[in-house]
Amino acid sequence: MATTKNVSPPTQEYVVRVPKDTKKKYSILKFHHSLNIDLTKSGPLKMGRENNLKEYRQAHDMDSMPKFGAGSEFGREQREEARRKKYGIYRKRYNPEDQPWLMTLGDGKQGKKFKGVKEGGIADNVSYFVFTQCPDGAFEACPIEEWYHFTPQAKHRCLTSEEAEEEFLKRDQTLNYFSIMVRKRMKNEEEADEVEESEKKVKKSKSKKDFLLTELDEWGIMSDDDMEDEEEAGLDTEKKESKDKSKKQSKKSKDKRKKNSDDEALEESDSFDEGQEVDYITGSESNDEDVYEEKNRDGDSKYKQQGVEDEEGLKFLVESGEEEEEEAKQEEQEEDEDSRDAKEKKENNDSDSESTESSGSESDPEKEVNFSPLFMQKKKEDRKKAVEAEGRSRSATPTEEKAKKRKAESENSVVKKVKVESTLSHSASSSSLSSEGITEEAVRRYLLRKPMTTKDLVQKFKNTGLSKDQLVNTIAKILKRIDPEKTKIKDKLYLSIKKTD
Amino acid sequence: MTESGTAEKRNVDLSGAARGVWLVKVPKYLSEKWKEAQGAGDVGKLRISRSRVAGGKPEVIFSLNDQLIGNDATPVPKDHKFVLTGMTSSAQTLTLLSQENIDQDDPMQETTGKLAVEGRVIQRAECRPIVDDKYMQLKRADLEKKNKPHREVIKLDRAEVNYKPKAYHPADVEATQKKKEEGKKSRLDKDHVMDLLFSAFEKHQYYNVKDLVRITQQPITYLKEILKEICLYNMKAPHKNTWELKPEYRHYKSKDGEASSSTA
Repeated sequence: MATTKNVSPPTQEYVVRVPKDTKKKYSILKFHHSLNIDLTKSGPLKMGRENNLKEYRQAHDMDSMPKFGAGSEFGREQREEARRKKYGIYRKRYNPEDQPWLMTLGDGKQGKKFKGVKEGGIADNVSYFVFTQCPDGAFEACPIEEWYHFTPQAKHRCLTSEEAEEEFLKRDQTLNYFSIMVRKRMKNEEEADEVEESEKKVKKSKSKKDFLLTELDEWGIMSDDDMEDEEEAGLDTEKKESKDKSKKQSKKSKDKRKKNSDDEALEESDSFDEGQEVDYITGSESNDEDVYEEKNRDGDSKYKQQGVEDEEGLKFLVESGEEEEEEAKQEEQEEDEDSRDAKEKKENNDSDSESTESSGSESDPEKEVNFSPLFMQKKKEDRKKAVEAEGRSRSATPTEEKAKKRKAESENSVVKKVKVESTLSHSASSSSLSSEGITEEAVRRYLLRKPMTTKDLVQKFKNTGLSKDQLVNTIAKILKRIDPEKTKIKDKLYLSIKKTD
Repeated sequence: MTESGTAEKRNVDLSGAARGVWLVKVPKYLSEKWKEAQGAGDVGKLRISRSRVAGGKPEVIFSLNDQLIGNDATPVPKDHKFVLTGMTSSAQTLTLLSQENIDQDDPMQETTGKLAVEGRVIQRAECRPIVDDKYMQLKRADLEKKNKPHREVIKLDRAEVNYKPKAYHPADVEATQKKKEEGKKSRLDKDHVMDLLFSAFEKHQYYNVKDLVRITQQPITYLKEILKEICLYNMKAPHKNTWELKPEYRHYKSKDGEASSSTA
């Protein structure tokens, strides 16, 4: 059939035929290139149409009436159809040929699954033909009638948006990403069993703490719990003890956090917001008060005696609250490092056990030195020996200085950085502090907005990077200057300023 | 609307999967010509000449059969150039599937017809006409045809009467003739009518009077007498204007509707 023409490159000529084969209908199946579909190697191929008749019926509200027997009406469908036609509503009939193809490539369970959706509009303005070469050399052109775009179907189940969000929060803690779905499955099984139980539980546990409007409320609740604990321990106990306790609690809670990583992410996120202005609080003023009232019904009477402007009282308020968790945590980290150092030292020098203890562990009584000057003085004498021992082990600095140093050491990490300042005097520091965020302005602003306890105030300024001592000092000073209105609600002293101008 | 259209998967014949085919985009006018000549032998010739440059694409020219060009006012251009694009440019694997429809009238064939993979596309081509006078004429004719308004104003010399009064319309005549053939509905024995009614109510619960008249072939007055005895008339919404059996005559199975719906 090939005939050479006058030009040098050889030209081949083929006959093109259009076969009369009405039985066969041709369609093109489109796959993405990256799927690497090779039907010659992939094994058996099975295809079938998806059956969407049920969905079609539901969508058109056709299954609402029984067709036969009880409740059925003779000729209802026809009548409905006629009625619709009268109003010009023509429904598209269900066409099984328009349903997507479902394809399984390969054997049994290992088979890949695909879904092919019919594509329209391709052959609107052009026609497509497939040219195949016959054994006799001629080409046969067969028209393409349909196009299907095949996409792989996922075998796995996906997380819902809420679940995904939850996992995303845990992203830093999650080491094994493969176990997420396994856990989900287990959880589902458990849920099935415990649905009833949990419902009861939820009702009980969510009596009060269910509905938290702001973080402030949350803080209130947390501190309350703390207060109750303290009450159990006895109100008359010395400050020192309560401090000790709060420390321990904070440590406990820290440990707890480490155990369940779920909570950690949430609480960490809290720490970013505190102290910042939360504008939407203003609307819920009355609500907040309600909450406070509720919480503090059996509140703590120990604040009655002391004026808030007194440094002591304010200090106590601050110290007793567990809201210092974050700070305490920081401290502990610092101290952990210290203790590690100390332990090393211990290994080196066993005889210095006393000194290492004093500088290291948290239950160390000397740590409270900074909280009350009285104790500090007392302890100084007690501890002189220890100090001397330490002095021996470290360097030959004078003991007096050493004690000061140690005091600073045991203080907050931030104070460490500004060691010089802290050792000099507090009065000097106040001026510098105001530059760091605690200004009279800011305090006024907070008090104008809504009545607050001193504790709340301290909370607000917590992330200015000061030690508790300094914080309390400065706030007390500012409060003295401002002289706000004091109201007592449920045994708690609330400070507020009325708008004058 | 067949209800048994299940999604059962059929095995696909893969024997032709390795075969390479060309997918050719063809202009509509040409494909129409081809369809005319379906089964009538060759529609044209394909000339493939290798390119002069080594490694270049071959030049493919399709020339339509002279008989198909047609002698009417709009002849179709004879020569078309195949522009080959290959498969590397598109990120798709194209497979050719054929589906056998033995009887096109039967919609069930869709779900039972044999499936076969006929090949995979190894080359895509675009059949472009070589632009010459003939092609321009064709385009011109197309454009004129397209731009011609569907309705034109024609001036008539005298008014045309569309509606001519008729005494007997053909539709009416048919209906009356049918009625005559049937004759008057005669009253049957009451028991017999009741049997008919009961058997009807076995199938459905609610019936319109018209339907019952058609089923029993009884005069409506007579039928209503019987219906009042054994049936209740619904005057409210879900089954308005329908008759149903009195409770004492009913013996429908519970949840019958669901079980029997598949046999509808």
